[in-house]
Amino acid sequence: MSDFRIALRPALGSATGPASRGVSLTAMPEGHVVQVLGRRPHAPDLSGVLEKAAGPAHRAVHAAGPGQWFIVGDAPLSRDEFAALSAALQPHATAVDQSHGRIRIRVEGTMVERMLAKGTAVDLDPGAFPVGTSAMTLLGHVSVHLTRIEIAVFEIMVLRGFAESLWEDLVRMSAEFA
Amino acid sequence: MTSYRLAKGGLVDRGAPLAFSFDGKPMQGFEGDTLASALLANGQMLVGRSFKYHRPRGILTAGASEPNALVTIGRRGRTEPNTRATVQELYEGLEARSQNRWPSLDFDVGALNGLLSPFLGAGFYYKTFMWPAPLWEKLYEPFIRRAAGLGKATHEADPDSYEKSWAHCDLLVVGAGPAGLAAALTAGRAGARVILVDEGSMPGGSLLFDTAMIDGKTASDFADGAGAELQSMPNVRLMTRTTVFGWYDGNVFGAVERVQKHVRDPASHLPVERLWRIVAKQALLATGAEERPLVFGGNDRPGVMTASAMRAYLNRYGVAPGKATAIFTSNDSGYLLARDLEAAGVEVTAVVDSRPTAALSYRGRARLIANAVVSRTKGSKSVSAIEVLRDGRSETIAVDALAIAGGFSPIIHLACLRGSKPFWSEEKAAFLAPQDLKGLRIAGAAAATAGIAACMQEGSAQTMAILCELGFSCRPATLPNVEAEEESRPAKPLWSIPGIKGKAFVDFQNDVHLKDIGLAVREGYGHVELAKRYTTSGMATDQGKLSNVNAIGLLAEARGVSPAEVGTTTFRPFYTPVSFGALTGAHSGFHFQPVRKSPLHDWAAKNGAIFVETGLWYRSAWFPRGGEKTWRESVDREVVNVRQNVGLCDVSTLGKIEIFGADAAEFLNRIYCNAFLKLPVGKARYGLMLREDGFIYDDGTTSRLGEEHFFMTTTTAYAAGVMNHLEFCAQALWPELDVRLASATDQWAQMAIAGPKARLVLEKIVDDDISSAAFPFLAAKEVSLCGGKLHARLFRISFSGELAYELAVPAGYAESVADILMDAGAEYGLQPYGTEALGVLRIEKGHVTHSEINGTVIPDDLGFGKLVSATKADFIGKAMLEREGLKASDRLRLVGVRPLDPTASFKTGSHILEKNAAPTLENDQGYITSSAFSPHVGCTIGLALVKRGPERLGEEVVVWNGLKSEYTPAILCDPTFVDPTNERLHV
Repeated sequence: MSDFRIALRPALGSATGPASRGVSLTAMPEGHVVQVLGRRPHAPDLSGVLEKAAGPAHRAVHAAGPGQWFIVGDAPLSRDEFAALSAALQPHATAVDQSHGRIRIRVEGTMVERMLAKGTAVDLDPGAFPVGTSAMTLLGHVSVHLTRIEIAVFEIMVLRGFAESLWEDLVRMSAEFA
Repeated sequence: MTSYRLAKGGLVDRGAPLAFSFDGKPMQGFEGDTLASALLANGQMLVGRSFKYHRPRGILTAGASEPNALVTIGRRGRTEPNTRATVQELYEGLEARSQNRWPSLDFDVGALNGLLSPFLGAGFYYKTFMWPAPLWEKLYEPFIRRAAGLGKATHEADPDSYEKSWAHCDLLVVGAGPAGLAAALTAGRAGARVILVDEGSMPGGSLLFDTAMIDGKTASDFADGAGAELQSMPNVRLMTRTTVFGWYDGNVFGAVERVQKHVRDPASHLPVERLWRIVAKQALLATGAEERPLVFGGNDRPGVMTASAMRAYLNRYGVAPGKATAIFTSNDSGYLLARDLEAAGVEVTAVVDSRPTAALSYRGRARLIANAVVSRTKGSKSVSAIEVLRDGRSETIAVDALAIAGGFSPIIHLACLRGSKPFWSEEKAAFLAPQDLKGLRIAGAAAATAGIAACMQEGSAQTMAILCELGFSCRPATLPNVEAEEESRPAKPLWSIPGIKGKAFVDFQNDVHLKDIGLAVREGYGHVELAKRYTTSGMATDQGKLSNVNAIGLLAEARGVSPAEVGTTTFRPFYTPVSFGALTGAHSGFHFQPVRKSPLHDWAAKNGAIFVETGLWYRSAWFPRGGEKTWRESVDREVVNVRQNVGLCDVSTLGKIEIFGADAAEFLNRIYCNAFLKLPVGKARYGLMLREDGFIYDDGTTSRLGEEHFFMTTTTAYAAGVMNHLEFCAQALWPELDVRLASATDQWAQMAIAGPKARLVLEKIVDDDISSAAFPFLAAKEVSLCGGKLHARLFRISFSGELAYELAVPAGYAESVADILMDAGAEYGLQPYGTEALGVLRIEKGHVTHSEINGTVIPDDLGFGKLVSATKADFIGKAMLEREGLKASDRLRLVGVRPLDPTASFKTGSHILEKNAAPTLENDQGYITSSAFSPHVGCTIGLALVKRGPERLGEEVVVWNGLKSEYTPAILCDPTFVDPTNERLHV
């Protein structure tokens, strides 16, 4: 057995941000992000398959364009768990592990829509963007995957390399509500 | 006499005095004042000098269209030139300075221009400064620019922040006057998402200075109540201090909110300005109307003001224009002012009406002079008298203020920003916007509707129609009861006035006067667009808000046609000036673009890396060590260490794409010009991707990790482009193929471990057998590390020409794995190396990058001719590769270059000449694409694209640096300077 110890370094490990009633930012645990690629972009409804594959309730499925989804959760997936999930999706879809490639940020608060409107052209009114809705959108200059997970809570998923930069932008955008 | 503050009246708070200064002179105003109203209250009627003739100018309007009262406010980085005093809210400590005068506003040397004015008419500069041509740029233009002008911008950095935001609504109402308030109330009560925008500090528009009673309240109290009701509705957003400046595709409106332009010390957690993009399902324009000046001699003298502006200063700010005011009117507007002035106890000396009879009954004390005109004003720095012309007889009347009322022009700017042209209505005596615009309706004075009740009625009715279109069920709104209202009905416009003496200004901001318009017509520039450019009427910061319609009327008269035939110039954004700060938003300075960091960024930093920006990425360029004085010393050491021992380089920024599907191999076979169909599982292959036109697009290695799973790498620069290209091919070109793509650039950290001792290092942490037999050159597979603690991907590929591997690990573990490799490699001399050493190593090996793949080369140019499949049915670029020009024998092709004298060197970009050939375009043989000092060769080496290059190995040439006139004798050679037989790759 090797003596070397391999440690995870979170992308937003040292990031601090506002935590007020107006807006609060939290770097979510680097658990798992699985990109699901449907066999055909306009495949029949895969919601049953996805639900079954996603399994436990602490995982969520977010739409990510025609025939594509992200399965996300706070706990890391073991190789076996990923293999099982991958198998459950076959032959309808392919699972790609993006757990390290995507960073999730939770933004919430009474002013969260106003804050996000500084970056995204998506209409975030609950009538137009209800709980469970996702969109790929630019947030300022950075491309993100945005999901409303509760009425005043959004999850932002961003490429790891942009996470720090986006975090700084979010802190700035939140300044007036903090 | 001068203007002064009345003892009572207006919406200013006399209990809240504000100290400010103008040209250093201390003054006092009240909370609720604009800078203009405060200046007038202090008797300061002279506020600026005009653009061209340096004429004394005062305050002409009470709003956004102000052409004269432009001042500079703030100091240092907060200096803001050309601020309209009429819209700038007063705050404690505001410092305002007049512009375009020297040495002082009262004594301005530039006013001498006025004496030269007979020579300075329209087109003067064009005619006078034509010869000699070179002097225009060097002498004339700089001189004219210095003499003429507006305020000066500061060179200091702006200390404040700006931002942008989006907003969405069912209905956007622009303007919170009578029509806009009625519209917003109607829509808000019906439950629609409403955004009501007004450029003022509070809603109300003209209601803030109207004397009508609404539902038993003053008009301003009514506006206040309406604003409060709107603010209480969760579905309504009321945005004050916000100007909608543009209307764009998708019914998106641009607006700028002045968040903190009315405060002395902007709070740091807020921007000073915010740029809004408002996406509206429907919009209602309730922007009101602009009162036009009348064109007569000396109509620009301080003390002359539009009648509605004078009403605003009187009723809203409690400021009287003077002790003896005359009113010159062509319609009923002047009488509303006369009544209000007299009610406030301000003497009205005379009302001069150009019409034989007034439509409104006037029962005031002022002398009424009907069927008469004001032909000129007199006075030095403010009006002291007017000359009234009636029945051919002239009479001089002493006054200290003059109101002018030339009719109203609806503010239709926004409605005409998407191609619609306004049309002239003879009945309304105004240019109107078409009413059939998609997504935008117009109500109130902006549609030439007169009177508060009628405007409210129209605002509400138009909103009802919009709500029905949007599917809201709604009842007709209950409209308030308007009492004591007198309407100002449109009258025939009075374009040219008989008996004018002196300069009669059409465009105040550009000093365009009546004679300029006539001159333009006589000289053949009578078309409205030409007249604008010839005279400059309608240009500069006010964009002719007051002058354009008068200019059109005068052009029409001069040409003997109707204004309808003359038409308007083209309307363009912005409605009023918008700061660059607001347009830039938060993305300035360091935040100009986002930073993209490699998962090994912090590892590189702690190993002392110097970073270089590569697109958005920060890449480690070299790792200096103690004692090294130049970057070259560090790079040379890193290169030598790779060739002798082993180095570790972060290559995570390369694009990485996972490709899945039953047809993935076929897909790649069509994407690349070389064969991929039969690539075995567990193997990597160099791939060359062409564009449709046959030129090389990108290159990289692609590995087959499973029967239906490939892993592609791209260059750093083209990662996103290649991903888009693949998606386009999969979705649009070959939708029948089963192929799925995922960008995995950020998922994997990738490290090159290169050098003769690379295997020794890796064997210490890789659990699998990686001996050359088990894991030969171009092997690719998943491996386990450190006793199964982590799974990674290992590729035996080499960019340096040495025994080399690329190890990909999940990004979050990158730093840890790199640390482990450094530990494991210490005994073998492992050192990190950066992109500079990477570049030297690949040039030594003759490997190409986008320096060579520069959009002009085909595979054969780089020696990849044999790679191009002759047997594949098709691949992208195949057909176009057959073009004659791409098969020509004298194409520029890849070759190596080194100086004859090893101590000499040359630069990338230098050109190749035949020995003894003159440096001419005809003699150009090609150019150096990459160059570096090679520790291996012991001198500068280069890669070059040279005509028939590979056929000329051994030829002596000259490398010519035309920028520095350097000529370096050199020899063309094989581009592979290191290990041409590739023995090192296979050890």
